[in-house]
Amino acid sequence: MGLNVVLRAVGKKRFGRRAALCGVEDSASSSRTSFVVDEVSSIIKEAIESAIGGNAYQHSKVNQWTTSVVEQTLSQLTKLGKPFKYIVTCVIMQKNGAGLHTASSCFWDNSSDGTCTVRWENKTMYCIVSAFGLAI
Amino acid sequence: MKGKKPQSSYKAAGTAPVEEEAKTTCPNTYRLETRNKFRDYLVRDKAQAILTAKLQDTKYNGASSPSLCASISEEVLKAVKEFGFDRYKYVVSVLIVEKAGQAINVASRCIWDAQRDTWVSAQCETETFIALALVVACYCD
Repeated sequence: MGLNVVLRAVGKKRFGRRAALCGVEDSASSSRTSFVVDEVSSIIKEAIESAIGGNAYQHSKVNQWTTSVVEQTLSQLTKLGKPFKYIVTCVIMQKNGAGLHTASSCFWDNSSDGTCTVRWENKTMYCIVSAFGLAI
Repeated sequence: MKGKKPQSSYKAAGTAPVEEEAKTTCPNTYRLETRNKFRDYLVRDKAQAILTAKLQDTKYNGASSPSLCASISEEVLKAVKEFGFDRYKYVVSVLIVEKAGQAINVASRCIWDAQRDTWVSAQCETETFIALALVVACYCD
Protein backbone atom coordinates (compact mmCIF):
# COMPACT_ATOMS: atom_id res chain seq x y z
CA MET A 1 0.00 0.00 0.00
CA GLY A 2 1.33 3.39 -0.85
CA LEU A 3 -0.14 6.83 -0.53
CA ASN A 4 2.07 9.50 -1.87
CA VAL A 5 1.54 13.11 -2.71
CA VAL A 6 4.28 14.88 -4.65
CA LEU A 7 4.15 18.54 -5.45
CA ARG A 8 6.56 20.28 -7.73
CA ALA A 9 5.94 23.90 -8.39
CA VAL A 10 8.06 24.52 -11.43
CA GLY A 11 7.76 28.25 -11.21
CA LYS A 12 9.12 30.09 -14.16
CA LYS A 13 10.27 33.58 -14.83
CA ARG A 14 7.63 36.17 -14.33
CA PHE A 15 6.19 37.06 -17.68
CA GLY A 16 5.52 40.65 -18.50
CA ARG A 17 2.77 42.29 -16.54
CA ARG A 18 1.06 45.44 -17.61
CA ALA A 19 2.39 48.25 -15.52
CA ALA A 20 -1.09 49.54 -15.00
CA LEU A 21 -1.19 49.23 -11.24
CA CYS A 22 0.47 51.91 -9.27
CA GLY A 23 0.84 52.32 -5.58
CA VAL A 24 3.10 51.47 -2.73
CA GLU A 25 3.01 48.02 -1.26
CA ASP A 26 4.57 47.51 2.13
CA SER A 27 5.28 44.23 3.82
CA ALA A 28 2.43 44.58 6.31
CA SER A 29 -0.19 44.63 3.58
CA SER A 30 1.39 41.86 1.52
CA SER A 31 -0.17 39.13 3.68
CA ARG A 32 -3.55 40.52 2.71
CA THR A 33 -2.83 39.85 -0.94
CA SER A 34 -0.57 36.82 -0.87
CA PHE A 35 -1.20 33.13 -0.60
CA VAL A 36 -0.73 32.05 3.02
CA VAL A 37 -0.34 28.29 3.22
CA ASP A 38 -1.32 27.91 6.89
CA GLU A 39 -4.50 29.86 6.45
CA VAL A 40 -5.54 27.80 3.45
CA SER A 41 -4.67 24.50 5.09
CA SER A 42 -6.83 25.30 8.11
CA ILE A 43 -9.71 26.24 5.80
CA ILE A 44 -9.35 22.93 3.98
CA LYS A 45 -9.12 20.95 7.19
CA GLU A 46 -12.26 22.57 8.55
CA ALA A 47 -14.13 21.84 5.35
CA ILE A 48 -13.11 18.18 5.45
CA GLU A 49 -13.98 17.79 9.11
CA SER A 50 -17.38 19.32 8.73
CA ALA A 51 -18.26 17.33 5.62
CA ILE A 52 -16.89 13.88 6.45
CA GLY A 53 -15.32 14.04 9.90
CA GLY A 54 -16.59 11.20 12.02
CA ASN A 55 -18.17 9.32 9.11
CA ALA A 56 -17.27 5.91 7.77
CA TYR A 57 -17.01 5.40 4.01
CA GLN A 58 -20.42 5.14 2.37
CA HIS A 59 -20.66 4.70 -1.38
CA SER A 60 -24.01 6.39 -1.65
CA LYS A 61 -22.78 9.54 0.06
CA VAL A 62 -19.30 9.98 -1.34
CA ASN A 63 -20.43 12.07 -4.31
CA GLN A 64 -22.14 14.48 -1.99
CA TRP A 65 -19.11 14.56 0.31
CA THR A 66 -16.60 15.44 -2.38
CA THR A 67 -18.87 18.17 -3.68
CA SER A 68 -19.45 19.62 -0.27
CA VAL A 69 -15.76 19.58 0.72
CA VAL A 70 -14.80 21.37 -2.48
CA GLU A 71 -17.60 23.90 -2.37
CA GLN A 72 -17.08 24.73 1.26
CA THR A 73 -13.34 25.16 0.72
CA LEU A 74 -13.94 27.44 -2.23
CA SER A 75 -16.49 29.58 -0.48
CA GLN A 76 -14.20 30.10 2.52
CA LEU A 77 -11.30 30.92 0.22
CA THR A 78 -13.33 33.56 -1.59
CA LYS A 79 -14.32 35.05 1.76
CA LEU A 80 -10.65 35.83 2.32
CA GLY A 81 -11.15 38.49 -0.31
CA LYS A 82 -7.75 38.09 -1.93
CA PRO A 83 -7.16 38.73 -5.63
CA PHE A 84 -6.71 35.09 -6.58
CA LYS A 85 -8.15 32.51 -8.90
CA TYR A 86 -8.57 29.21 -7.04
CA ILE A 87 -8.56 25.62 -8.20
CA VAL A 88 -9.58 23.02 -5.61
CA THR A 89 -9.48 19.27 -6.19
CA CYS A 90 -10.73 16.65 -3.76
CA VAL A 91 -10.07 12.92 -3.98
CA ILE A 92 -11.85 10.53 -1.62
CA MET A 93 -10.76 6.92 -1.75
CA GLN A 94 -11.96 3.95 0.19
CA LYS A 95 -9.25 2.26 2.27
CA ASN A 96 -8.50 -1.04 0.73
CA GLY A 97 -4.77 -1.48 0.75
CA ALA A 98 -4.56 -0.06 -2.76
CA GLY A 99 -2.02 2.58 -3.65
CA LEU A 100 -2.80 6.16 -4.69
CA HIS A 101 -0.24 8.62 -5.99
CA THR A 102 -0.77 12.20 -7.06
CA ALA A 103 1.68 14.72 -8.47
CA SER A 104 1.27 18.30 -9.64
CA SER A 105 3.37 20.57 -11.80
CA CYS A 106 2.61 24.23 -12.22
CA PHE A 107 3.73 26.99 -14.54
CA TRP A 108 3.03 30.22 -12.69
CA ASP A 109 4.49 33.21 -10.98
CA ASN A 110 6.61 31.97 -8.08
CA SER A 111 6.42 35.21 -6.18
CA SER A 112 2.67 35.38 -5.88
CA ASP A 113 1.13 31.95 -6.47
CA GLY A 114 1.00 29.06 -4.08
CA THR A 115 -0.54 25.73 -3.34
CA CYS A 116 -1.66 23.75 -0.33
CA THR A 117 -2.44 20.04 -0.10
CA VAL A 118 -4.06 18.39 2.88
CA ARG A 119 -4.00 14.64 3.26
CA TRP A 120 -6.67 13.44 5.67
CA GLU A 121 -7.56 9.92 6.66
CA ASN A 122 -9.69 7.96 9.02
CA LYS A 123 -10.23 4.24 9.48
CA THR A 124 -12.21 3.71 6.29
CA MET A 125 -11.10 6.30 3.75
CA TYR A 126 -8.48 8.72 2.52
CA CYS A 127 -9.26 12.28 1.50
CA ILE A 128 -6.73 14.44 -0.36
CA VAL A 129 -7.60 18.05 -1.06
CA SER A 130 -5.34 20.30 -3.16
CA ALA A 131 -5.91 24.03 -3.46
CA PHE A 132 -4.00 26.13 -5.97
CA GLY A 133 -4.08 29.93 -5.80
CA LEU A 134 -3.11 31.91 -8.90
CA ALA A 135 -2.74 35.63 -8.45
CA ILE A 136 -4.71 37.83 -10.78
CA MET B 1 -17.58 4.90 25.92
CA LYS B 2 -20.70 6.09 24.14
CA GLY B 3 -20.58 7.37 20.57
CA LYS B 4 -16.85 7.05 20.04
CA LYS B 5 -15.81 8.78 16.82
CA PRO B 6 -13.51 6.97 14.40
CA GLN B 7 -9.98 8.28 14.68
CA SER B 8 -8.80 10.62 11.96
CA SER B 9 -5.53 12.31 11.21
CA TYR B 10 -4.28 14.79 8.69
CA LYS B 11 -1.13 16.19 7.20
CA ALA B 12 -0.80 19.47 5.38
CA ALA B 13 1.88 20.62 2.97
CA GLY B 14 2.16 23.47 0.55
CA THR B 15 4.38 25.83 -1.36
CA ALA B 16 4.23 29.45 -0.36
CA PRO B 17 5.07 32.31 -2.71
CA VAL B 18 8.77 33.16 -2.67
CA GLU B 19 9.68 36.80 -2.20
CA GLU B 20 11.69 37.98 -5.19
CA GLU B 21 14.02 40.94 -5.05
CA ALA B 22 13.29 43.43 -7.78
CA LYS B 23 9.86 43.60 -9.32
CA THR B 24 10.50 44.69 -12.88
CA THR B 25 7.71 46.60 -14.52
CA CYS B 26 6.92 46.33 -18.19
CA PRO B 27 5.44 48.95 -20.46
CA ASN B 28 1.73 48.72 -21.20
CA THR B 29 0.82 46.52 -24.13
CA TYR B 30 -2.82 47.80 -24.28
CA ARG B 31 -3.77 44.28 -25.29
CA LEU B 32 -6.72 42.82 -23.41
CA GLU B 33 -6.80 39.39 -24.98
CA THR B 34 -4.35 36.61 -25.65
CA ARG B 35 -2.58 36.46 -29.01
CA ASN B 36 -2.67 32.69 -29.14
CA LYS B 37 -5.76 31.25 -27.49
CA PHE B 38 -5.63 27.99 -25.55
CA ARG B 39 -6.91 25.17 -27.72
CA ASP B 40 -8.11 22.39 -25.49
CA TYR B 41 -8.38 19.70 -28.17
CA LEU B 42 -4.65 19.95 -28.87
CA VAL B 43 -3.73 19.66 -25.20
CA ARG B 44 -6.15 16.80 -24.62
CA ASP B 45 -4.68 14.78 -27.48
CA LYS B 46 -1.13 15.50 -26.39
CA ALA B 47 -1.80 14.58 -22.74
CA GLN B 48 -3.56 11.40 -23.83
CA ALA B 49 -0.61 10.50 -26.05
CA ILE B 50 1.89 11.07 -23.25
CA LEU B 51 -0.11 8.94 -20.82
CA THR B 52 -0.56 6.12 -23.29
CA ALA B 53 3.09 6.15 -24.34
CA LYS B 54 4.38 6.05 -20.79
CA LEU B 55 1.86 3.70 -19.23
CA GLN B 56 0.54 1.40 -21.93
CA ASP B 57 2.12 -1.88 -20.91
CA THR B 58 3.25 -1.16 -17.39
CA LYS B 59 2.04 -2.82 -14.24
CA TYR B 60 1.36 -0.93 -11.05
CA ASN B 61 4.44 -0.78 -8.86
CA GLY B 62 4.21 0.91 -5.48
CA ALA B 63 7.87 1.80 -5.38
CA SER B 64 8.21 3.42 -8.78
CA SER B 65 4.77 5.04 -9.02
CA PRO B 66 5.56 8.26 -7.13
CA SER B 67 8.42 9.16 -9.44
CA LEU B 68 6.49 8.01 -12.50
CA CYS B 69 3.59 10.22 -11.49
CA ALA B 70 5.88 13.23 -11.00
CA SER B 71 7.69 12.66 -14.28
CA ILE B 72 4.42 12.39 -16.21
CA SER B 73 3.16 15.65 -14.75
CA GLU B 74 6.39 17.42 -15.67
CA GLU B 75 6.30 16.01 -19.17
CA VAL B 76 2.71 17.10 -19.70
CA LEU B 77 3.55 20.57 -18.38
CA LYS B 78 6.53 20.80 -20.73
CA ALA B 79 4.39 19.75 -23.69
CA VAL B 80 1.69 22.29 -22.86
CA LYS B 81 4.30 25.04 -22.57
CA GLU B 82 5.70 24.08 -25.98
CA PHE B 83 2.38 24.86 -27.60
CA GLY B 84 3.16 28.47 -26.76
CA PHE B 85 -0.30 29.73 -25.83
CA ASP B 86 0.05 33.35 -24.88
CA ARG B 87 -0.51 34.69 -21.34
CA TYR B 88 -1.58 31.49 -19.57
CA LYS B 89 -0.65 29.92 -16.26
CA TYR B 90 -0.96 26.13 -16.04
CA VAL B 91 -1.63 23.63 -13.28
CA VAL B 92 -1.12 19.96 -14.15
CA SER B 93 -2.31 17.24 -11.76
CA VAL B 94 -1.69 13.55 -12.29
CA LEU B 95 -3.29 10.74 -10.27
CA ILE B 96 -2.31 7.07 -10.39
CA VAL B 97 -4.69 4.74 -8.58
CA GLU B 98 -4.13 1.04 -8.15
CA LYS B 99 -7.09 -1.14 -9.05
CA ALA B 100 -8.04 -3.18 -6.04
CA GLY B 101 -11.79 -3.12 -6.06
CA GLN B 102 -12.00 0.07 -4.02
CA ALA B 103 -14.09 3.06 -4.90
CA ILE B 104 -12.61 6.49 -5.59
CA ASN B 105 -14.22 9.83 -6.24
CA VAL B 106 -12.46 12.89 -7.68
CA ALA B 107 -14.12 16.32 -7.66
CA SER B 108 -12.84 19.79 -8.66
CA ARG B 109 -14.20 23.27 -8.52
CA CYS B 110 -12.61 26.52 -9.62
CA ILE B 111 -13.04 30.21 -9.10
CA TRP B 112 -11.86 31.68 -12.36
CA ASP B 113 -12.76 33.70 -15.40
CA ALA B 114 -15.34 31.53 -17.11
CA GLN B 115 -14.72 33.11 -20.51
CA ARG B 116 -10.96 32.72 -20.60
CA ASP B 117 -9.99 29.84 -18.35
CA THR B 118 -10.51 26.19 -19.08
CA TRP B 119 -9.44 22.68 -18.17
CA VAL B 120 -8.71 19.43 -19.95
CA SER B 121 -8.51 15.85 -18.70
CA ALA B 122 -7.04 12.66 -20.07
CA GLN B 123 -7.00 9.15 -18.67
CA CYS B 124 -5.32 5.84 -19.27
CA GLU B 125 -6.59 2.56 -17.87
CA THR B 126 -4.63 -0.69 -17.68
CA GLU B 127 -5.29 -3.97 -15.92
CA THR B 128 -3.68 -2.96 -12.66
CA PHE B 129 -4.16 0.81 -12.39
CA ILE B 130 -5.87 3.93 -13.70
CA ALA B 131 -4.01 7.14 -14.48
CA LEU B 132 -5.77 10.50 -14.69
CA ALA B 133 -4.22 13.78 -15.85
CA LEU B 134 -5.91 17.16 -15.32
CA VAL B 135 -4.61 20.33 -16.97
CA VAL B 136 -6.01 23.72 -15.94
CA ALA B 137 -5.15 26.82 -17.97
CA CYS B 138 -5.80 30.23 -16.44
CA TYR B 139 -5.47 33.45 -18.40
CA CYS B 140 -3.17 35.91 -16.75
CA ASP B 141 -2.44 39.48 -17.84
